[in-house]
Amino acid sequence: MTTPPVAETPAIAASGIVKRFGGATAVDGVSISVRPGEIHAVVGENGAGKSTLMRILAGVIAPDEGTVMVNGTHIDRGAKASLDAGIALVHQELSLVGEMTVAENIVLGTTPTALGFIRKKKVASIAAEALAEIGVSVDLKEPISRLSVSLRQFVEIARAVARKPRVLILDEPTATLTPAETDYLLTMLQRLAASGIAIIYISHRIPEVFRICTSVTILRDGKLVETTPIADTTPSAVIDAMVGRELKLDLQVRRTASPGDVVLAARGIRAHNVNGVDLEVRARQIVGLGGLVGAGRTELVRAIVGADPRQAGTVTLTVDGVAHPIGSYGSAVRAGIGYVPEERRTDGLALSMSVADNVALPNRHTLSRWGILRLGAISTFVTNLADVVGLRPPQILREVGEYSGGNQQKVVIAKWLGREPKLIILDEPTRGVDVGAKAEIHRLVRELADKGAAVLVVSSDLPELLELSGLIHVVRDGRIMGTLAGVEADEKSVMSLASGETMVGA
Amino acid sequence: MTQTPAPATAQTQTMQLGTEAVGFVNKLRVSLARRTEGRGLALLTLVVLVTAFLEPSVFTSYQVTLGRVALIGLVALGLTAVILMGELDLSVASTLAVSGVVMASVPDIWLGILAALVTGLLIGALNAFFVVVVGVNSFIATLGMLFALRGLAFVLSDEKPVRLTDIDAGIAFGAPVLGPITPRVLLFILAFIALQIFLTRMRAGREFYAVGGNRQAAMDAGIPVRRRIFTGFMISGFVAALAGVINTLERTAADPTAGGTVLLASFAAAIIGGVVLNGGRGSVLGTLIGALSLGILQVGLTFSGVQVDIQDIFIGTILLLAVITDPTNLRAALAGVRASFRGREKAQAVV
Amino acid sequence: MAEKESLTEVIAIAEGATHDPGIEKKRFNFLVWVSERGIVVFTIVLILFAVIFVNGFASLPNITDVFYRAAPIGIVAVGMTFVVISANYLDLSVVAQVATAAVIFIGVSNEYGLLASFAVALLVAMLYGVVNGVAVGYFKANAVIVTLSTTFIGLGLLRWISGGSIFFGPEDGPIRLFGQVKIGPVPLSALVLLVITVILWWVLTRTNFGFTVRAYGSNKEATRLAGVNTGLVVIGAFVITALAAMVAGFVLAAFSNTAVSAMADGYDFRALAAIIIGGTSVFGGKGSVLRTLLGVIFVSVLTNILVLSGIGFGFQQMAIGALIVAAVSVDALARRAAKK
Repeated sequence: MTTPPVAETPAIAASGIVKRFGGATAVDGVSISVRPGEIHAVVGENGAGKSTLMRILAGVIAPDEGTVMVNGTHIDRGAKASLDAGIALVHQELSLVGEMTVAENIVLGTTPTALGFIRKKKVASIAAEALAEIGVSVDLKEPISRLSVSLRQFVEIARAVARKPRVLILDEPTATLTPAETDYLLTMLQRLAASGIAIIYISHRIPEVFRICTSVTILRDGKLVETTPIADTTPSAVIDAMVGRELKLDLQVRRTASPGDVVLAARGIRAHNVNGVDLEVRARQIVGLGGLVGAGRTELVRAIVGADPRQAGTVTLTVDGVAHPIGSYGSAVRAGIGYVPEERRTDGLALSMSVADNVALPNRHTLSRWGILRLGAISTFVTNLADVVGLRPPQILREVGEYSGGNQQKVVIAKWLGREPKLIILDEPTRGVDVGAKAEIHRLVRELADKGAAVLVVSSDLPELLELSGLIHVVRDGRIMGTLAGVEADEKSVMSLASGETMVGA
Repeated sequence: MTQTPAPATAQTQTMQLGTEAVGFVNKLRVSLARRTEGRGLALLTLVVLVTAFLEPSVFTSYQVTLGRVALIGLVALGLTAVILMGELDLSVASTLAVSGVVMASVPDIWLGILAALVTGLLIGALNAFFVVVVGVNSFIATLGMLFALRGLAFVLSDEKPVRLTDIDAGIAFGAPVLGPITPRVLLFILAFIALQIFLTRMRAGREFYAVGGNRQAAMDAGIPVRRRIFTGFMISGFVAALAGVINTLERTAADPTAGGTVLLASFAAAIIGGVVLNGGRGSVLGTLIGALSLGILQVGLTFSGVQVDIQDIFIGTILLLAVITDPTNLRAALAGVRASFRGREKAQAVV
Repeated sequence: MAEKESLTEVIAIAEGATHDPGIEKKRFNFLVWVSERGIVVFTIVLILFAVIFVNGFASLPNITDVFYRAAPIGIVAVGMTFVVISANYLDLSVVAQVATAAVIFIGVSNEYGLLASFAVALLVAMLYGVVNGVAVGYFKANAVIVTLSTTFIGLGLLRWISGGSIFFGPEDGPIRLFGQVKIGPVPLSALVLLVITVILWWVLTRTNFGFTVRAYGSNKEATRLAGVNTGLVVIGAFVITALAAMVAGFVLAAFSNTAVSAMADGYDFRALAAIIIGGTSVFGGKGSVLRTLLGVIFVSVLTNILVLSGIGFGFQQMAIGALIVAAVSVDALARRAAKK
């Protein structure tokens, strides 16, 4: 572990931070220190523990081990104490109130009052000052709901700046910005740093990091890989450190199967966060959608199956030479599409119902006669499927909510396996799943494809994506930025496309 | 409109991201677009035009009309505070009845009024307790309270109207104090002004919008969300009790069955006025507009000799339409319809 | 198929499953116990209490009276259980639905015969179910507000069309006859309640439709993403409620052989009390028609005890309202305890 030489008291210093969620360790013994005036990048793949670390630094969540010091003194736990100590976090999810004005949002929680009345002039001057400091001009009386997403991002930053922070933490601030806006934001951050604020900058976008940051901390699987001054490293070296070397072994078990006819054809898909995508998936083919969180992959697959409305585009599913137009989610299910959503607990399962009920739900028409459930058939059907997906313990009457994440995911997959889907779409199929279950889910996905189904997988887990997919589309800003065939895809090429780093030839 | 005092640290280059309105007409247009009262205003205009045409006496005998508006509007004002936070208070009608009975049961009129208002505050606090501390959904908690309090009103009153001891005070209360304005209307206007100031000028009131609009953000920003919800329910309880007091004074008796229609009408007023049931959007001005439309409509119908039953049908229909044409609901329904039409397209063989 | 409590048990028997020791035992929590099993104990305790301490409870005429009064409320409650399980709170408009049906059964059959009255009542019930269901299911409007407005529309229409008058059936009419038939101390209407409970229990647990209602109440989004037309599910739940309310209207009309627009006042909260006290969760997904039947017995016996003790309508209403709040609180606290 290399720590930059301490020239002066660091504005913020965390040492030995450990945070566990259930059995998983999200952050494992990470130390970081940032001096005033420094812009310190924190990079890593999805799930490397960046956001968790930042929430610990901002006091939103408490670490299991380790300490956070601000300006050389310990701070108490809790968001309030951290705010008072001068740490301001700009969230990844925007935390503004839509129906309040720009000025009110900037002072939210710290509104100056006299006898309970809002001091409007003071509010306006604080807000105007903060906006002037970041150099953004916007009508103070405009409600947030009438602003563009990128403008909201700037208001969020103004809110952090208005608190006169010592440490400013930004979590993926450029994810929703246009190139011009990004450019502006980066210049602004450099200027803020010059005024003595310590800035921690989290980004997937390596070029941004190299443009403004003075040093970079690389995280992988919750562990610190290295902290180095930016001058001593190269973009290529950073990406290598992010993805790690030892994982390349997985590429050996890649699946090779000749794809059949086109099953799914999506043309010109536009929806919220999706800006014109053409996509094809063939029988026996596993197509992967790679990209960063927030790139629009989930929105894309939801628009394809009709789970969310599309603004434009057509989707057809061709089964046995018959093309079925997919207009609504109902038509997608009828035509033979199975959709395993990203959020299994909120969208995938009725947690208070049994495994049998959950699996039977999409299969209820085959498991009933004249609208009456055939209980015996359900029992056999679900028991068989529980065996196929390897549910452990295979007790189909237990509430799904009592099972572990991996078992729950197997139940979601079993729901669709029973329908023998022509196309199955899996969004982050192994997130929060233990290693054993992960391998079994991969086996199931491959078997499905081998039996002739078309498979579309969204995954932020690069090794998984590479291992499963014969073809990878990399999505950024709601568009497909590049397509890599199985042989030419590796972690570096996918990451480069996903993060907008184009210097690595694909 | 940028009041930028340009502090020393200000960047020389600024980014013009917001579109700024220039000129009076554009500014007016922007101000209007920011408002939430559009639907209420449309209904009010329609009602006023039709009434002016068919039953102009509604406006000449405006005393009656104002009284009716005040009756509907007062409870709706308190309700607005709760709905803005994304909660619901169905117990207002019973609170009105209970506090009226409490007031009439106390021999001294001023003590009675005080007791009634305290009752309202207590009921509000109890509602908030179930919602905030126990964690019961506010629809169901206040629904239970609606039934329980209606029962309480019957118990306290022995199931019959309670005569006010000091009947003269009641009669005096009904007389106009300011020109044609009766104390009822005056109190309504005062309540409106007080809530308007509270919700637009005071920190606690403005934070109601944050609690309803983005509760997580409100908590993150350090807003005492629980205390705000308590305040909201207590406002609603207090205002409902005030309405109970006014009713009792005007009728010189407290009716334990009072408030049946008030529940419907006050919800209708708030929802028509653009207060969104999910919270965070709306204004007391909107509620006032909603109450005006409903009040004028009711009086107009009464003057035209339409019986109360049909008035109930009218207001029920308006509430039903208002709640299903809530912009977010409407969007969901339209998307559903569009999707099901698209789903109807026939499968076709590939050529 | 064997008559068993639920799908769950049937499958358990089919599998010959014994409980696996590998499953961790849930820690005992009193609130969870009360919300899940409490109703059985409470009902038994209440009945024992009444038999021992309440004068006149354990007499044949009184028990018949309890049955008579429990039947219409019970029929409404078992129907409305569908709405509550689908996580749509309740249907306030049952007050209007029951009264409308009663007035139709007496008023229309006086003029045009029993068959015509059935046809009209059925039409009106379907209308209620569809209007409430479309507003809630497709427009995603709040069920409490929607049914509050349909209550006022319905009662307004009823009073307007009926002129607010009381309708009397002929002394020898079929409705009157139905109301008078008893088997021992048990009136026919109580048997109707029993039959409807069994039918609705079967619909909820054994049919595709009932299955989707339960799933929808447990998780709306997951049910939609399983390919279920959720709008139809909600409409179905409200239609079932409306049909049950129609039958309740018939039973109520037969009981007194009269009908008037205010005759079902209070049915909304009594039915809700029975459902919630029975242990069906207002959060949706959990519950059963049989539980509601127990809740109906509890609420009816309690009301009877209060009446026999000379306690007035106001106090009854207060007690039942307080029971609703208490039961919902226990439910909410138990859910929180179970999550820990």
